[in-house]
Parts: sequence; structure tokens; C-alpha cells
Amino acid sequence: MKLRKLAAAAAATALGLGTLAACGDDSGGGSSEGGSDTLTLWLAGKEDTPTDATDWLKKEFESQHDGKTLKIERIDWGELLTRLNTSLPSDKTPDVVEVGNTQAASFTSIGAFTDLTDKADELGAMGPQSFVDAGTWDDKLFAVPYYWGSRYVFYSKSAFKDAGLEVPKTLADFNAAAQQLKTDGGGDYSGFWLPGQDWRNGISWVFANGGDIAVQDGDKWVGKLSSAESIKGLTEWQQLAEKATTAPKDGKDEEPWTSFNNGEAAMFMAPSWARWSVAEDKADDLGAFALPGAESGAAPVFAGGSNLGISAKSKNQDLAFDLLKLIYSDDYQQLLAKNGLGPANDEFTSLMGDDEFAQAAITAASSSKLTPTSPEWSAVETASVMEEFFGALANGKDVAATAKATDAKLEEMLNK
Amino acid sequence: MTRKLGPYAMLLPAFAILGVALGYPLVRQLVMSFQEFGRAQQFGQPAPWVGLDNYRALFTDSTMWGVVTRSLAFCAVNVVVTMLIGTALAVLLKRVNRTARLTLQISMLLTWAMPVIAAMTSWQWLFDTRYGVINWVLTKLGFESFHHHNWLTETWSFYFVATVIVVWMSVPFVMFTVYAALTQVSDDTLEAGQLDGATAWQRFRHIVYPTIRPVLTITMLLQIVWDLRVFAQIYYLQGVGGTPSKTHLLGTYIYTLGIGQNDYAMASALAMFVLVLTLVLTSYYVRSLLKESDA
Repeated sequence: MKLRKLAAAAAATALGLGTLAACGDDSGGGSSEGGSDTLTLWLAGKEDTPTDATDWLKKEFESQHDGKTLKIERIDWGELLTRLNTSLPSDKTPDVVEVGNTQAASFTSIGAFTDLTDKADELGAMGPQSFVDAGTWDDKLFAVPYYWGSRYVFYSKSAFKDAGLEVPKTLADFNAAAQQLKTDGGGDYSGFWLPGQDWRNGISWVFANGGDIAVQDGDKWVGKLSSAESIKGLTEWQQLAEKATTAPKDGKDEEPWTSFNNGEAAMFMAPSWARWSVAEDKADDLGAFALPGAESGAAPVFAGGSNLGISAKSKNQDLAFDLLKLIYSDDYQQLLAKNGLGPANDEFTSLMGDDEFAQAAITAASSSKLTPTSPEWSAVETASVMEEFFGALANGKDVAATAKATDAKLEEMLNK
Repeated sequence: MTRKLGPYAMLLPAFAILGVALGYPLVRQLVMSFQEFGRAQQFGQPAPWVGLDNYRALFTDSTMWGVVTRSLAFCAVNVVVTMLIGTALAVLLKRVNRTARLTLQISMLLTWAMPVIAAMTSWQWLFDTRYGVINWVLTKLGFESFHHHNWLTETWSFYFVATVIVVWMSVPFVMFTVYAALTQVSDDTLEAGQLDGATAWQRFRHIVYPTIRPVLTITMLLQIVWDLRVFAQIYYLQGVGGTPSKTHLLGTYIYTLGIGQNDYAMASALAMFVLVLTLVLTSYYVRSLLKESDA
């Protein structure tokens, strides 16, 4: 009796410890095997890079590298930063990752990416310059440009005709047109779809009047939202929020085409790829123009786009660089351009087309600006500081006071 | 000697797993709350020891106290409403006929089983400003001011929507648990009470309630713990609208500090504070539970 109990206890203990040990072994074995035969590429956004391009990339990579597979994962923009922060320092790091151009500084400044300065020449022509700067830290290039997009205004040609309006040439004309379209439309109609927390489009009014978000003064960042120029632009924007739109005061910049598709808005502002989300039956009525500047030409708009970096902890450094070379190859750059994404190699920019959409894109991109290239900027974005700032303005708060408070907050966060 | 060893040997794997899964993160969090741990440390830099600095920064931050106050208020409202509705539904369940009971149980089960994000998406559409059903129904009923009413801009309205959703998701658990407890109430005593002339409310208060009290206590305990650290619903709603800095509760604030702003040390310090707060709030109920089980 006692012996049986002893045997049972011993068996239970052995089984328990054995299982635990086996569990430990499995996880260890898995990571070392997965490292060298699969190259992992993380792309941002479910649809931003078109499937034609990714299919081509996969085919070319696998035909050039026998026995290796290219695994492409698409990460939602909203989760990208958190997933990068947790994966890049780990053993299961992806090999090549796409980051937003404004997010690149957060990673280049702490050694998350491999230094590509010496190998950059092998990639060929690389631009735009502001993207190269965004990927550079301490004079070393860590993240190379991937594609650029610009944002411009999409409008309904019939709405303009009915209101007797021409494509506006100055920002003041645009503001007036938007308000007139709302008055003419009546009810729930928006002259210009302007969600309250949409700062990525709203900031164009600040830039157009010569203002800025924050500039670096020596070693410190100084907030510029309360400068006279910025306040002028913000006040114009606040007017529009009040008189030209019926969009929610806490709306974000997601899917701005929805109300246009429903016939409830005459204009909306979005990156170039928004064109394909406009409803089929509205496609003929759709036109585009770059947001006009204060005096003439195009307003500086927020430059959209991404950079690519190789994870410093990746075990496939050479393979990863081969992938970058494929991305910078003429074929891939042409695929990007034909799909409306600005290529890093400006030789192919003309392939983006010469219709009014391509013209608007190229004009808008010529005077684009970036957010402050501080490593702490991604924390500012995650804390929704700019969204809350514009939301407060849309709700009618005093421009000068709110701008001053936000400047203080920006300085506190950027100078950490 | 051998007789005592057997059970402990069987418990060994369970303890080991618990120790690793629960103990390690807890110890790591405690240690991290006394260090400086930001993005640089995440990517390999050493973490300097800063003692109580994180806690000091946390307790002198007025935002933090705002978050704590709101979380306590939110927890209190949600627990009370959930327990009231859940218990009421359980009593209802006991009284209705078979078909009605089955229908209610199935619909509650589906509510409980629905994945949080799927449910949140539906609720978001219900309360949507322009195309939401709720605004449409209220406008049709004659409340013109609800045309394109924005439910998430005002902070208290934001919490109203959050409460509706969290209560909706929590009620099934309370209902099923209390219903199970109600089946244990002795029918004989209830009949005797009725014969003696006690009203329904008196019967509930003096016969039913004492019998189901331990179950109510445990359910309330669980609800307090869950509602204090509610995260998914608030985080999702913040992504839809409203002003995040004014609507943070403990769960989302810790997430923002840690994963959002890469200040893992502050997030750890706040998490330790929440742990202590939870223990303090539930100590009374835990003690009464232990007393009951001893008796």
C-alpha cells in the first residue's frame, strides 16, 4: 500500500517535471530554427502597399534566393509602434520593417536599426531629401525612404459648377468656397469635410501661413503653435470648423470619403490613395487640386510616406539588404509609381501619370513638411496631443490660450 | 511522511506554472517600478536604480489623481448597477415559465460569449454620430436635439456610453451565478413565510438574501476587481472619439504610460498602486468570505 502511494507520487513528480522541461525545450528549439530560412518583412497598413507590388517582391526574392521564403506581414498603423517597440529588441524580431517617416527618429536614435551609411550607394537614387534626413541620426543613415504620398483636396465637380465656383487659387478663396458650398447645400451638407481631431490635414493651415509645430533651438525643442503665424492659420481653420462643415467635432481622419460617397460633402482632403475609395458612381464627378497656398502656388502640406529599416537584431543582415536592393530596383519603383505611391527613385515620378490627380500629388509633394524629427515625437502621437488640440479648437476654445497650453505640453514631452 | 508527499507532488507542476506566469511578472514589475526604464532600456541600455522617484512623480501628478478618482467612481457605479440588474434578472429567471427562461438564458449566454471587440464595433455603430441607430430612434421619437448628437465629446456622456456597454457585458455572469445560488433557497421556508403573511419584498430580504449572501459577496468582489481595471472598452471608445486625456481610467492610463509613451517604470509603479488599491477595496469582502468558510 505504502509502496504504491510512493510510486504514484514519484510518477506524478517525474511527469510534471518532464512536461515542464519539454515545454522549455520546444520554445528554445523553435526560435533558432526559424531564423535563417525565412525573411520577415513588416509593411504598415492593410492596403497601403498594393498587392501587385508585394506579389512581385515575393516572387523575385524567392527566385533569386533558392530555399528561402519571404514572409510579408501587414500591420495596422494603429498597432505599428507598439508592436515594433516590443518585437525589435527581441529574438523574434522582423528583419525589414516599414515605419512612418515621422516615426523613424524614435528608432534610429536608439540603435534599433542597422547602420546603412556605407551601403546606401548600392541602392541608387534615393529621395526625397526630407525622408533621407528623417532616417538619419548622428550623421548615419539608418532608415531609407520607401515611398512618399502627398495629400490634396478631392472635390465634386458638379457641386462646384452648381455653386458657380472655380478651383480656388489662394487659401482665402478656398476658405470662402468651402463656406459657400455649405450654405448652398444646407442641412447636413459639408462644404469641406473637416473632422475636429483631424490634425494631419488641419496643420496645413498653420504651415500655409508660415507657422510650425515645433522647431529645434540648439538642444531644446521650442513649441511654435502659439506664434503669430500659427495662430493666424489656426483661427482660419477654426472658422472653417464652425462654418464649412458638419463633421463630428471629435472626428478623426479615418475614411474621409464616406460622406463624399453619400453625397453629403463637396470636398475632402486625403492622401493620394484615397482616390480608390471613392464610390464608383462618383468617380466621374471627382476632381483634385493641391491645397492652395496663402499667396500662390501650393500650401505646404503634411508629407505622408514611409521609410524602411533593417532590424539591428536580425540574423539575416545580408538577405535583408538584398530585399532592400530589390525594393530599389527599377521594376519595383515603377510598380509603386504606377499605383500612385511616390517612388524613392525620382526617375520614375512621371510614371505616376499626368492626369489631374497625379498633378495634384506632385504639386502638393513639392512643398511638403514633416513633423518635428524628435525621437519623442512618436510618444506625442500616441498621447493624441495634436488630436486633442485641434478637437479643442473645433469646439470653439480660445485659439491663443489653447495653443500656448499645447506648446507647453509639447515642450515637456519633446525635451524629455 | 509518504502520505503527505503525494498531494504536494501533484501540486508541484501547478505551483511551478503559477510561479512563472504570475510570480515572475509581479516581481519584475516591482523591481522595474524602482528603476528608470524607458525606450533606451527596452533596446538594451542598463536600467539605473532610482528608488522612490517614480512613486513620488506619480503621486504629485494631478492627472493621476484625476484618473484614480474617475476609476473609483466608474467602478462604484458599474458594480452597483450590474449587481442590481443581474440579481433582478436572476430573480426573474426563477419565476418565468420554461420558454421565457430558456430564451433569456440563451441570449445572456450569447452576450457573455461575444468577443469584446466584435461587441464594441456593434456598440460603436449604435452610438455613431451621423449614422447611429440610437440617434435615429431618438430623433424619430421626437427628441430633435439628438439629430447627429455626439455621445463621446462630453466626458460624462463618454462614461455613460462606457457604463452601458460594460454593464451589458457584465450582467450575464452575475445573473447566472446568482440564479444558481437562488436554486439553493429552500422552497419550504419561502412557503412558510408566505403563509405567515410576509410580502414578496420581506421574503426576499429575510429568507432569500441571507441564503445567497456568500454568492453575492463573491460576485461583487469579482466585479470590483474587473471594473476597477477595465481597459478594452475604454481604449476602444477613446479611439472612436472624445478627449483621451480627460477620459483615461487606470487601465488605459497604465497602457498609455507604458506601451504608449515607453515609460515602463512609471507604468509599473502605477500598476503596483492599482494592485494595492484593489487589495484594500476587496479586503473587507475577502475577510467576510474567510469568516463564512471558517464557520
